[in-house]
Amino acid sequence: MQRKLRTLSSLTVASLKMYVRNRTGLFFTLFIPIVLVAVFGLLSKSSGAGAISLNINDLANTQLSKQFVTSVKGITAFKVTTDSQATASENLGKGKLDLEVVVPANFGKSGAEGLQNAQVEAQYNKAKPGNGQTAGLILGQIVSGFNTTATQARTILSVKTVGVTTNNLSYIDFILPGIIALSIMQLGIFSVAFAFVSYKTTGALRRLQATPTHPINFIFAQGITRLIIAVIQVLLLAGLGVWLFSFHMIGSFAAFLFVAILGSVVFLGFGFAIAGYAKDENQAAPIAQLIQFPMLFLSGIFFPRDSFPSWLKTITDYFPLTYLGDGLRRIANEGAHLSQLGPELVGLTVWGIIIFFVTVRLFRWE
Amino acid sequence: MATPLVEVIDLKKQYPDGFEAVKGISFAVQPGEVFGILGPNGAGKTTTLEMIEGMRSITSGTAVLDGIDVSKNPYKVKARIGIQLQSSSFFTNLSLVELLRLFNDLYTDESDPMELLREVDLTDKARSKVKDLSGGQKQRFSIATTLVNKPVVIFLDEPTTGLDPQARRNLWDLVQQIQRKGTTVIMTTHYMEEAEVLCDRVAIMDEGMIIALDTPKNLIKQLLARGFKSKQKVELATLEDVFIDLTGKEIRD
Repeated sequence: MQRKLRTLSSLTVASLKMYVRNRTGLFFTLFIPIVLVAVFGLLSKSSGAGAISLNINDLANTQLSKQFVTSVKGITAFKVTTDSQATASENLGKGKLDLEVVVPANFGKSGAEGLQNAQVEAQYNKAKPGNGQTAGLILGQIVSGFNTTATQARTILSVKTVGVTTNNLSYIDFILPGIIALSIMQLGIFSVAFAFVSYKTTGALRRLQATPTHPINFIFAQGITRLIIAVIQVLLLAGLGVWLFSFHMIGSFAAFLFVAILGSVVFLGFGFAIAGYAKDENQAAPIAQLIQFPMLFLSGIFFPRDSFPSWLKTITDYFPLTYLGDGLRRIANEGAHLSQLGPELVGLTVWGIIIFFVTVRLFRWE
Repeated sequence: MATPLVEVIDLKKQYPDGFEAVKGISFAVQPGEVFGILGPNGAGKTTTLEMIEGMRSITSGTAVLDGIDVSKNPYKVKARIGIQLQSSSFFTNLSLVELLRLFNDLYTDESDPMELLREVDLTDKARSKVKDLSGGQKQRFSIATTLVNKPVVIFLDEPTTGLDPQARRNLWDLVQQIQRKGTTVIMTTHYMEEAEVLCDRVAIMDEGMIIALDTPKNLIKQLLARGFKSKQKVELATLEDVFIDLTGKEIRD
């Protein structure tokens, strides 16, 4: 037992050394994400608070709808106008407006069973999806705050929700959890797939098999190393966001880290599946790209999935990166607790189990 | 005769595609010997070594090493031996000392890394990476890694292929030094001169079978007894001796 632990710790230390001494690896796993955060952080800063222009049209004119409009106007991140729908649509088309919000006529009106169901409609400017998404996010929170107020007795919870909406979310708040999710995916898939395949092709892995150590120890060592790097990545990126770009971590950071680690395990699984299956780098590269490329663009990391056709949205709902990105975002932006992240946690766990069996099935040592 | 350290009986290897790489060979290696396996490419030398090392499954027959049945206890066997693979490669970005320390931690018996480097004359390269070593240095380092667990026998698969004459003769000295310390050596080679200098006995393999097994001297005697006459007049020195005499024994890494 003690010898096994020594073997594992020694292999882990060696893997860590190999990792940090590999400049290319460090460049892709630490430097590139930092640059991404910096670029988006600066973009978010230069657009500044109040830069999201939004037109609101109240067709209901009820007490509740007036409250809603006041709440929206209270968000300092928004520049709110109350032009007619026609003017607003024109401005939206010209790119002068980021979001056009229409409060339907039945908003806040009573029906047979109390308040009627009403849907607030919001149209994004597709040219500025980031602003649209951020605004949509904030609106969603206001609406859900009103929902709680409208359907339940006034509770402390509703006060808290309203408090959350005044947190003044900006684009960095939308993009940072996404970049962290993306970095975790790339760390898992690329740093494992390529390093491990090269140990296979050069024969370093075979040399290890010439010792009485079972090579599974080396897989664990490589995995532990990547998890350590993933935690450093999250701390670094979130820290940078908070320190330089006033990123808001509304939920608990422990929960955020937990979801990040769960996601790392899943994507490490993908990395090992590719590394185990591929005979050499030439085989690993296209497989890795094939897996990461669709997720890079379709998991709502850089632009929201709301504008997707419904079939595409349904498919991308099940992407592991969607689960990870949404989970992180909901903790950071909405202050969601782990207990409220059912779909994301179940989704990631199911992916983890699937990829474990795929890896075991496909793995080749040579 | 003492109990053999390695005993191979009717060893066979058939690959899934039906190819029979080793077709039932038997031999025994005594403790302290340098035992050579010679043969053209594809004769089954490497496959034979790998089956005895526990690196490749045995189709039929038995291989017993130091009293341990290899097919039943490959991990136990690996703990007692040192293996130099034909094209040895090591983890990148680690120095020689770090690699030796890592290998140390994979075994129960251990050696001092610096002492091992001294044995293979690489003390001044302790902090270097494997990729910065010359061909001869790489092979010497590779042999050092086979010694970390104080093995009873080491396996060297074509240790001098691709080396210049100086480096090759330097490696011969190293093998003889290891033998003097009491470690048994089982090696393959393409160089007959090397086998003559180093090996106490050689097995000549062809097409998966052992076609001759004896000391190099006896094998030559047997050939001459069959009435063989060399076409070339045998000189008292070879061209390699001339080369070494002119360029010196100093190793050029």
